[in-house]
Amino acid sequence: MLKKLKSAERLFLLIKKQFPLNVSSVSKGKIFNEMQRLVNDDPESWMSAISIWKNLLELDAKKDKLSQRDANPLKRKIEENDITNPKKLKTEQMQELQESRQCQLEKQMEEETVEQGDFLTNREKSQEAFQNDVVKAVDTPDQKDLTFRVSCRCSGAIAKTFTGQEVGRVIGIALMKQYGWKADLRNPNLEIFIHLNDIYSVVGIPVFRVPLASRAYIKTAGLRSTIAWAMASLAEIKAGAFVLDPMCGLGTILLEAAKEWPDVYYVGADVSDSQLLGACDNLKAAGLQDKIELLKVSVIELPLPSESVDTIISDIPFGKKFKLGKDIKNILQEMERVLHVGGTIVLLLSEDHHKHLQDCEQSGIPLNSKGSHTDEPGIEKCLNHGEKTDLSDTVSSSSEAISQGGLDKMPPFGSLVPMECYQVSLGRTDAFIYKYRKSHSLGLLQPGSSRPRAAAQQGRRLSWDPDRAPESQGNRLP
Amino acid sequence: MKLLTHNLLSSHVRGVGPRGFPLRLQATEVRISPVEFNPDFVARMIPKVEWAALLEAADTLHLVEVPKGPIEGYEHDEKFLRQMHHVLLEVDVLEGTLQCPESGRLFPISRGIPNMLLSDEETET
Repeated sequence: MLKKLKSAERLFLLIKKQFPLNVSSVSKGKIFNEMQRLVNDDPESWMSAISIWKNLLELDAKKDKLSQRDANPLKRKIEENDITNPKKLKTEQMQELQESRQCQLEKQMEEETVEQGDFLTNREKSQEAFQNDVVKAVDTPDQKDLTFRVSCRCSGAIAKTFTGQEVGRVIGIALMKQYGWKADLRNPNLEIFIHLNDIYSVVGIPVFRVPLASRAYIKTAGLRSTIAWAMASLAEIKAGAFVLDPMCGLGTILLEAAKEWPDVYYVGADVSDSQLLGACDNLKAAGLQDKIELLKVSVIELPLPSESVDTIISDIPFGKKFKLGKDIKNILQEMERVLHVGGTIVLLLSEDHHKHLQDCEQSGIPLNSKGSHTDEPGIEKCLNHGEKTDLSDTVSSSSEAISQGGLDKMPPFGSLVPMECYQVSLGRTDAFIYKYRKSHSLGLLQPGSSRPRAAAQQGRRLSWDPDRAPESQGNRLP
Repeated sequence: MKLLTHNLLSSHVRGVGPRGFPLRLQATEVRISPVEFNPDFVARMIPKVEWAALLEAADTLHLVEVPKGPIEGYEHDEKFLRQMHHVLLEVDVLEGTLQCPESGRLFPISRGIPNMLLSDEETET
């Protein structure tokens, strides 16, 4: 079940979290002592973390044996080896489902706020999850045969004095002395992860060997899968919707969306043959080739009638590799044209695109020139709009501070009203997730600007509402 | 390319406008493969379908048992939904062409993916 957490990069069992090690005027030797204390000072936290880890491993092994049972250590009290009780399983699964949804939402929000990498969010989640767990103190497991490895990441002030390897070595030696484990750098049983920086010092055990972000169903990832999933969540995908990714690349966003929201019609488009081939491969590997269609088309010239798409989600290509010199304005214009009124657009933009959009805006309509206050009535209206689904509720209510602050960074674009804006980390760089909603129809301003499918049928197309009962549209025959 | 997709595509050649739909389909290789039947999904697609275009395409592909239009209470009519499911989702055009009815421009379909990129002169301003 833990593997279903979609917007978390990695998950760790927390052993220790404390204030950053003081590096300033202290000798190296003293700091090494501090580090050793991380290991030696609190054997109880170490023991309990390790026993939880062992139990997880056992549960995992048992799960593989029992077909189709979903063993979830989070909810289940570990000392009850009640795995074989089916009734209990069912109720717990229901609870877990809700819980994990909650976790997903919370994770997603945390994921989207400015943070020092994804590590912090996951650490907090695992802390809550596991410290609340009742674990019987495991009676002296035979630990002498455990092999381990220490992975260390240092950043900030401490990185100037120590390398990750030095720290890793110190901790490793301390662990060997304390617990008698053997070090194995290639294929250890247990991996200890340490992160030292200016904000905290954390020690933990990764729950899975492979990061959660690496999905079993994605063969070749383009965009980071956690961000792809987060964007799809923001997009308010409803059953029966038509979702388009006009610059799909390898199709990561569509794959994440199709896994989570299967009753939807997905279309991906790209101009590059190699990307489309890669996407095709990915779709087949994931078994989703029947859910996602691919087109070779250009985002600034979509062969789709106006107002025919419900949702658009896209990762706008960044940087110098993006050759065609397409203006982001043109891209947004075409997206706006094909989108239904009330539809949403969720985009991932680089800092450059973000600045570019702001520049375009400032030289044009002075809507945002006074800052966020002039936008407030508009913003509130939008946030209310978004409160229909539970997801929007959670996101908008608890991150209003962010959206309001971020919204004045987001220029409105034609009939696209900015809803939310999140800064996210992609590892080395930062990016922005923008969410827009189309507030009104563009109408027939110029001959080329709107392309209804056929004049007679245009009226019907515009009024189609996915939430309305089909019976009310009885007279559809031409 | 499934027929559900064909039903949505329209030509964007310059100046063509509403007469760019539907694109005339020609297929040289078609694959029919089973797709899991999801009645709810199919029912939701029905209101979006442009029937004339669908019937024309189905005719070109010599498909049989194609409903001529939505029937009363289609959401609960399993036979109807299954027929629509087959037409919209189980027929995959792997190789062929799409033709703009107004300009005559041909768009190739290769490996199931239609190529609708236009050259610079052909795009609208």
